[in-house]
Formats: sequence, C-alpha cells, structure tokens
Amino acid sequence: MNRRSLLSSAAAVAGAAVAAPLLTACGSSSASSKGGTSTKTGLQAALPSYVANNSLKADIPSVNGAAGSSTDPGFLSYPATQTRTVSGVPGKGGSYTAVTPLWGTVPNPGNSFYQAMNKALGVTLTMKPADGVNYATIVPTMTAAKKLPDWIQLPTWWNPNFNVGELVGTQLADLTPYLSGDNIKQYPNLAAIPTGAWADGAWEDKIYGIPSFSSGFALAGTTFFRQDVLGAKGITADQVTSADDLFNLGKELTNAKGGVWAFDDVWTYLFPYFGVPNKFTVTDGKLVHKYDTPQILEALDWHYKLAKSGSMHPDALAGNNNDGKTRFYAGKTLIAGDGMGSWSLTDAQAGVAANKNYRRGAFGVFAADGKSTPGVFLGTNTAEVSYFNAKLKKDQIEELLAVANYLAAPFGSAEYTMVNYGVEGTHYTMVNGVPTATDDGKKYVQQQTYPFLATCRAVISNPGADQVTKDYAAWQAAASQHVYKPVFLNMNITVPQRFATADAAQAVEDTIKDCYHGIKKVSDVQAAISAWKSSGGTQLVQWYSDNVMAKYGTGQ
Amino acid sequence: MAATVATKPGKGRRKTAEDGTRPVSAKLSWRIRLRRDKSLILMTLPAVVLLLVFNYAPLFGLVTAFQYYDPLVGVWHSSWAGLDQFRMLFQDPLFWGALRNTLFLSLVQLVLFFPIPVVLALLLNTVMNERLRNFVQSVVYLPHFFSWVLTVTIFQQMLGGAGVLNQFLRQHNVGTWDFMTNPHTFALLITSQAVWKEAGWGIIVFLAALAAIDNNLYEASAVDGAGRWRRMWHITLPGLRGVIVLMLVLRLGNALTVGFEQFLIQRNAVGHSAADVLDTFSFYYGIATNNYSYGAAAGLFKSVISLLLILGANKLAHAFGEDGLYRK
Repeated sequence: MNRRSLLSSAAAVAGAAVAAPLLTACGSSSASSKGGTSTKTGLQAALPSYVANNSLKADIPSVNGAAGSSTDPGFLSYPATQTRTVSGVPGKGGSYTAVTPLWGTVPNPGNSFYQAMNKALGVTLTMKPADGVNYATIVPTMTAAKKLPDWIQLPTWWNPNFNVGELVGTQLADLTPYLSGDNIKQYPNLAAIPTGAWADGAWEDKIYGIPSFSSGFALAGTTFFRQDVLGAKGITADQVTSADDLFNLGKELTNAKGGVWAFDDVWTYLFPYFGVPNKFTVTDGKLVHKYDTPQILEALDWHYKLAKSGSMHPDALAGNNNDGKTRFYAGKTLIAGDGMGSWSLTDAQAGVAANKNYRRGAFGVFAADGKSTPGVFLGTNTAEVSYFNAKLKKDQIEELLAVANYLAAPFGSAEYTMVNYGVEGTHYTMVNGVPTATDDGKKYVQQQTYPFLATCRAVISNPGADQVTKDYAAWQAAASQHVYKPVFLNMNITVPQRFATADAAQAVEDTIKDCYHGIKKVSDVQAAISAWKSSGGTQLVQWYSDNVMAKYGTGQ
Repeated sequence: MAATVATKPGKGRRKTAEDGTRPVSAKLSWRIRLRRDKSLILMTLPAVVLLLVFNYAPLFGLVTAFQYYDPLVGVWHSSWAGLDQFRMLFQDPLFWGALRNTLFLSLVQLVLFFPIPVVLALLLNTVMNERLRNFVQSVVYLPHFFSWVLTVTIFQQMLGGAGVLNQFLRQHNVGTWDFMTNPHTFALLITSQAVWKEAGWGIIVFLAALAAIDNNLYEASAVDGAGRWRRMWHITLPGLRGVIVLMLVLRLGNALTVGFEQFLIQRNAVGHSAADVLDTFSFYYGIATNNYSYGAAAGLFKSVISLLLILGANKLAHAFGEDGLYRK
C-alpha cells in the first residue's frame, strides 16, 4: 500500500464515521415527526413499583384530597439523630458532568460543598448550574450540537422548547430496563417516589427521566395576600368567596395616593376559578380547547375590568414582573398571584427583612360566580425531571442511578441533611434543634443544584419558620378538596413540528396578556382566537382528538 | 461606520481625486500597492476577520429560511420548504403589523430624532468657554453608556403610573398622565427615550465635521459684514452637508432596524401590537416558539429590503452631488 492509498482509505474511514451519526440522525427525525404519547397498558408495564418510605412520622400528616391527590406532609422539627439510608458510598469513582437550572447566584466551581458531596457520593460529579431565566435558550444549543452533559435537568414546562419528545432515545438514555417494575427496588429511595411523577419522565411507553420535588398535590400557584396587613384590617381569607368579593376587596384596600395598590398580576393562577380548563376539556365526548370555552371570555372580562378599575399597581400593568416580589414585600401591593414555591423559608426571611410583621397568606379555592362548585385543576406531579445522556454505558448508568438514589433520600435522613444543608460545622450549625446555614452554606448549599437531579417526595419543611409550614399545610389540606384532574394530565405528548406554532399560540397568549393589562379588549382576544383557529388551531385540536384522545384516552 | 466617517473631512477629499491621485494608484501593480499599504491592511485585518466570522459566515444560516429547520437534525437534514415560510409570512397579519410599526417608528424617529444632534452640535459650537463646552458635552454623552433596561427604568420611575410625576399629580388631586403604557403615544415615548439616550452621542460626528471647517472662511465673511445667521447658512451648514447626507443614507438603510431591547422591555407595557417591530417579531414568533425557519424568513425579508433601501438612498445622495457611502 503506497502512501496515497493509505491516506485515501483513512479518509474513507473517517468519512464513514462522520456519516454514521448523520444517518441515524436522519432516521430519528422521520421517526419522531409522527408525534404521540404513552399507551395506558404500555406505560403501566414500564412504570416502576412504588415502595413507600415512612421512616419518619410527619408532624402534619398528609391529607387525602379529591381526584386521588394527597397533600405534602409537614415537618415542624428536624430529627436530631439522622438515620442513614445508603450504606457505603454509592459511586465507583466515575467522572460525570451535570447541568441544572439555577435561579440565583452560581456557586464557585470546586467549592467546599461540591468537594464534600463528591466524597460522599464516591464520584467526581462536576456541577454546572446554568442561569434559570435563560435556560430555555441555553439547552437547545447543546442539543443542536449533540453535546448534552452526562446528566441534565429539563423542567417539564419547557418540554416543547427542548423538544424532549425527539431527544429521548436519540440523545437521552432509556432507563426502562433499570427502573421498570421491581427493578427499581435496588434503589429504595427512588422507589419511594410516587408513581405519577415517573409518568412525567415517560415518553412513548418508556421511562427516561428521574423526577425531583414530586408531589401528590401539585398546584402551579395560587392567589396570595399579605396576611399581616389584611389581618390587621380584620379581613380573612374566608370572606372572599367570589370574584366580586375579590374585586370589591381590591377597591377597599387600594390607596393610590399613599402608593398602595391592592393587586399585582393575578391572571395566571386565578383564571381556573372561572371554570377555565388547563388546556382542554371534554364536552359531550368532544375535545374542546380552552380558547373555545365561554369561561375564558368571562375570566378575561373580569381581569380587564380589574386592570381598568385602578386597583392594580401601575408597574404591574406596565408588565414589570421582576419587581413583583419587591412590591409585595414593601406592601405596595397586597394581593398577588405567585408560584407555590414562594410559600417558603427564604420568602419569609426576605419578607421579614422588609417588614417585621410580614406573613404570607392565600385565598382558598372559590368559584368566580360564588355559586358553582369551586374547582382548580391539578398540575403534573413534578415539574422537574432529570435525564441521562444516551452515550453513557450500562455500568455508568447504574453508577449514576445509585447516586440518584442517594440524592433522593427521605426527609431528615443523613443523606438528605448532607444534600440540603451540607457538612455540620462548615455549612450549617444546629441552633435550637434547627439546621441553620452558615455564610458558606448560604453561598454553596442554599443555591440549589443537586436537588434538581433527584429528590425524595416533596415535604413542607421550613426550619426556623414554623408558621410558614403550618399556614401552607393548612391551605393545602383545604384546597385539596377542590381539585380535579385536567385532560391529558401527566401525559407527555409529542406534537408534530408543523403544529408547533399553533400549539404555542403565542399571538393569542400575547393578546390575553394585553387584555389583563387593560390594553386590549376581550373582543380583541376573540379576534386573535379566531385567527388562531383558522391558521392551524382547529387542525391542532383535531390532531389531539384523533391522535391522542381517541388512541390513548384523556388520562383522567 | 466609524471608519467611513473618519476619512471624510468634508469636501477636501474630492479634490485629491480630481487632481489624479487615484488613477495613478490604479496603474500600479497590486504587489506594489500591497507593499505600500501593508500597515493599513494590517490595521484593518482584525476588523475584516471579525466581519467574516460574525457577519459573513452566519449568512449560510439563511438557508434555513427555505427549510422546515429542526435544530436536532441540523441544516443538512432538515426538509425543504421552498417558499412556504415566506408564503405564511406574507399571510400573517402580525408580520404586516410589525412591518407597519417598524416603518412608522422609523419615520417618527427620522423627523423627531435626526435633526436633534445637528442642532445640539451647532449650539455647542457656539459655546466659547471650552470648560463649559466639555462639561455639557460629557453630560449629554453619558446616557449613551446606560443600558436600555436602565433607561426604561428611569423613565418608569419618573413618568410611570407609580412614578414621581404621577404620584405628585395624584397627591395634588390632578389627573394622572399615562405615558408609559399608552400604545397610542408609544412612538413618542420611544423617540423621547432615544433622544435622551443617544442624541448626545450622535453629536460627535457633527462636531468633528464642524471642526474641519476652515476658520478663515468665517473671518473673511465677518469682514465682509455677514451676520451670525448668514455665516451659519452659507458656511456652517454647507460644511456639514456631506456628513448630514451620509448619516441620512445610513439612517435610511437602517430604516427597518429601529432597535430591539427597547421594544422587548416595553412590550408588556404597551402590548404586542404596538411594540412588535420586525426584530422582535422574529424573536417571538421565530426563536421563542422554536419556529426558527419562520424567524429566518422574516429576517431575510428585512435584510433584502434594507439592502435595497441603502442602495436607493445612496443613489439619491449621488443625485444631490454628495458622496454618500462610497464614490462612483
């Protein structure tokens, strides 16, 4: 073989190596464009068994609510002696990279907490938290370059942005062989994660994702108020039983001259009280999109009037959401919609820093008209699912699953304490039986990274702010009686690319936002909805009806 | 743009062209010219490389405008759409709304913004005290270095519904003035923000051109009895004409680029139908909804029209006997 032919054959080999992934990529695109979801029986076969872990008795036990929901257990004390649930170190010395979203300050790489965790886990797990605000645009650059890290968190509300339906199997590893049925029992902490949450990481009858913060009572958020301020005026949550009550309360509380307006944005978590479905509802056996319901128009009408009533803060009307919490803490707004995550220790600390009497409260679930049965749809059992890279080998996946099992250790265990509070003396100290973060703890541990890879079932625990735990647990118990399962709950549906625009319905959502800010009228939203219907909306609903509801049911 | 401006000391350069420097250099072989200009070439090289990497190389991405681009399978394997994206684009009322907004805002800015730096430069030029002039200049420059977020925040704090002005009006039982969230006066809001932020920066070019005007001309005309206004009309403005026309050509060429962040930040305040311009349209209905090809099609449309505009404006400049962007 002369030099030239050697070179050319080498080039041919290189060419084949390049061509091979391209060919598989080509195949995958045709496979995924069909769209679809899991079948009932197929999913049942794949889902892991559930083995409850009741090692620690909750101070406020879980309550069973409507639609099979169960509230999160509340803990008022932290166990002094923490039991171990994992013997030895789970890892075998492998090296991995993990990317998680972080809504906060990125801790220094290689800090003392990361080092301690690596030692405890027995692996070199390089944590690379990325800015949560821009996460939806960061991840697609990684997937387009096919350079996902070994372990990545993909929040479910961004599934369409990440195109997870297309990533599973091609770039994300299939975990079904390791976790389905009784296979999960070798990872007891993972087995204690409720089944519904595993469905949120399942795609077309296979298990791909590991859920974090799974809850039997998942609501996206609700309408909060300043309990301390309203309480001082003798106003309690149960006095508000209709949208009219809320409207009138707003007029009463607003003092524009004094710089106080009753309302911040409330639409996002209040519209369900008007009977508006999550996305779809089934009427007479027919699938109906929420845009096609009269209820959404009623809800918009009320919110439009609210925006025009003068009881909404002008900055909220100007779309400045970033300072919403600051306005609430400062008492410039008194009623605000927010995610459930804001009922927490950090919120209490931030609020008390602004006003020492600060206390958060929330209105109960009510029907807008004050007559109908109050109802609000449940959210998916988890909104945070982490995935493994498809390039990982079998023993690597098993090593990382063992790590996930460590991270998912139950509340109050030694592993849970390590993941959430770090090393005693370095990252936290016990003050009156409460783990209290040191400065290093605040910098490295409180900026959550590992919990976005795997956690145990959600609990309500706010060491040092028991009032928050009691308030939140009581609200959950009351609200859980009024929930219902929305159509397609916990079903991961891959919508074909050609419907991406109609599914996002950006133009309608924009007009809705303008409407509850008082810029556009309800009739403008109606016009946007009919434009949406004629430019793909009707076909989209038909696709959901034919390809999802007819084949797989409504998941209710 | 800065490079073009720097080599334009009014009409002086035309003379050198007329007295024949150019034809001579054209006769020299490229090798000799290369040796002669090597330091100049070396100096522009980094800029050219930047231009190639960040402006020319991404041009290949335009191909996605003719595809149903899926980032997961890449450009090579996405299916072809032909002109479908453009067909959808031209049927999309939101696109026409964004185009209409862009053109309207551009026009408003041309009329209300463009003359301000010229006037400011003329005013500043009449200030004789150098210290005072430098001080005023620094003060009007400063906002240029603020980000749009900061600028909009300052406006919101001052003129917003809960801002200083309205809170004052409210406390004195006078009706409030809704300027920050009124879609009907949005063009004025945008322009006043732009004037506040950029007008000071815009005067640099005109000040440089003013400095290039021969002082002897003023003295001679003063001796001849010309007053302040006549001197301005017959000496200052003709001296600025070349630069004004150049800036106008550039402005027209950028007529479809009215800004991005300024609109992104205030979109929620005035609503999408008032605030969407072509660039935010590409972002919201292209990138944000994973519909990259649609965004690329809107971007390509904008680029083509911009190119035509800049060529047209340049022709117009030539018709008026000015240099424009380049000489014929």
